[in-house]
Amino acid sequence: MGKPKAKVDPTKCLACGGCISVCPQQAIAWIASKAVVTPVLCISCAICIRTCPVGAIHGDEVL
Amino acid sequence: MKYDAVIVGSGPAGSVTAYYAAKAGAKVLIMERRAEVGSPVLCGEGISKQIDVFEMLRDSKRWIANKMDGAHVFSPDGTCVTLAAERAGNETGYVIYRDIFDQTLAQKAVAAGADLMVNAQVMSLLKNKEKIIGVQATQFNKNLEINADIVVGADGVESKIGSWAGIPTTVKPIDLETCAQYTMSNVDVDRAYCNFYLGNEIAPGGYVWVFPKGKDVANVGIGILANMSEGGQAKQLLDKFIASHPELNKGKPFRFLAGAVPVALPIETVRDNLLLVGDAARQVDPITGGGLTTSLQAGQIAGETIGQAVEQQRFDQDFLSVYEKRWKEAFLRKLKRNYMVKEIFLDFDDKTINMLADSLKDYNFDEINTLGLVKALVAKHPTLLMKLKPFLKLYGK
Repeated sequence: MGKPKAKVDPTKCLACGGCISVCPQQAIAWIASKAVVTPVLCISCAICIRTCPVGAIHGDEVL
Repeated sequence: MKYDAVIVGSGPAGSVTAYYAAKAGAKVLIMERRAEVGSPVLCGEGISKQIDVFEMLRDSKRWIANKMDGAHVFSPDGTCVTLAAERAGNETGYVIYRDIFDQTLAQKAVAAGADLMVNAQVMSLLKNKEKIIGVQATQFNKNLEINADIVVGADGVESKIGSWAGIPTTVKPIDLETCAQYTMSNVDVDRAYCNFYLGNEIAPGGYVWVFPKGKDVANVGIGILANMSEGGQAKQLLDKFIASHPELNKGKPFRFLAGAVPVALPIETVRDNLLLVGDAARQVDPITGGGLTTSLQAGQIAGETIGQAVEQQRFDQDFLSVYEKRWKEAFLRKLKRNYMVKEIFLDFDDKTINMLADSLKDYNFDEINTLGLVKALVAKHPTLLMKLKPFLKLYGK
């Protein structure tokens, strides 16, 4: 079991781009005007989770 | 399709760049990721009166929502310091309709000859070996390859263009304000003043703003430093603030938005065949988080530089560095100084901010000068002298 990877809830994401700008791995990108995390690039640092102003990102357990 | 310059992003920085480049004879294309220029709005919508004279905004004022007399700055204990508009930094002058503002600029760019595509998301840079030769994009499920001698990253704080060209663009959490804002009706605030609320409980590392947009309408927003934030905290603190303020808590929001504002030092803005402008270049005042006036200035310089580059067919970093040199002359000093002010201010506890406000509340800002200001501050609260030492060093230079 790995560390939880960041996952964006598209119903909560307001597309501010904050998470994309702070991600040290360039692991988050716009897809259809929502922020989307590429799990293989995510290093579980949780910076994006803390940055999100509306709490749209959470840690997703990867089995 | 071949352009002299393709500009990624249709915010103010992008449209202004396009306008001045097109005016200088360059063939330019603006590519906007979203379906509508200017929407959704990601902004507190305050701007300095300086923009009155800006060429592209002179003949239509439809973007002005409200004219301001100045700003009230509130310390954590509620002490109010009033600043006239000229003294309140970048962000009081007008409160604007940012969507109409952005569309006005984009229309001007198009009228000057620029092409514009919406729903067009740039996916990568086109390169020939290492040389940038354009962008690869998608629009309405179609792949597009657009050749251009210059690619301009005007793609916001989350810019990918810069990082694809090898410029480190990741923003440190300590250099990012994470923001949330309601636009509310039925609020009861003085429409002539923008309001700023400071305090480590209210907005750690940032502030709450109440910018009246009309008679009983205001933007009520918060920015907090990302390194002091937990997920969702910006919205939670904003809700708490509104609930505890009677002039706001009967208001009803008709718009909610989230935002991210770099309060960083600027980064490199030029490479061979590439420029960065606006938030993508961190051309933002680190104290207020305001980036409109700097983006307009930098966009004009970028556009003029592109015009010269096309004329001389020189697209190398060396030639394009004129842009960086000129915008740095225009406002780098101010950004650097304000970054240091931001860092000093972050060390202030609420008690210090209260003392500052108490000393300043009766100060006549029409006669501002550093020595007079310091005397006024220290006369009332002598212990402030120690806290203000870093400022004296900064402004004594």
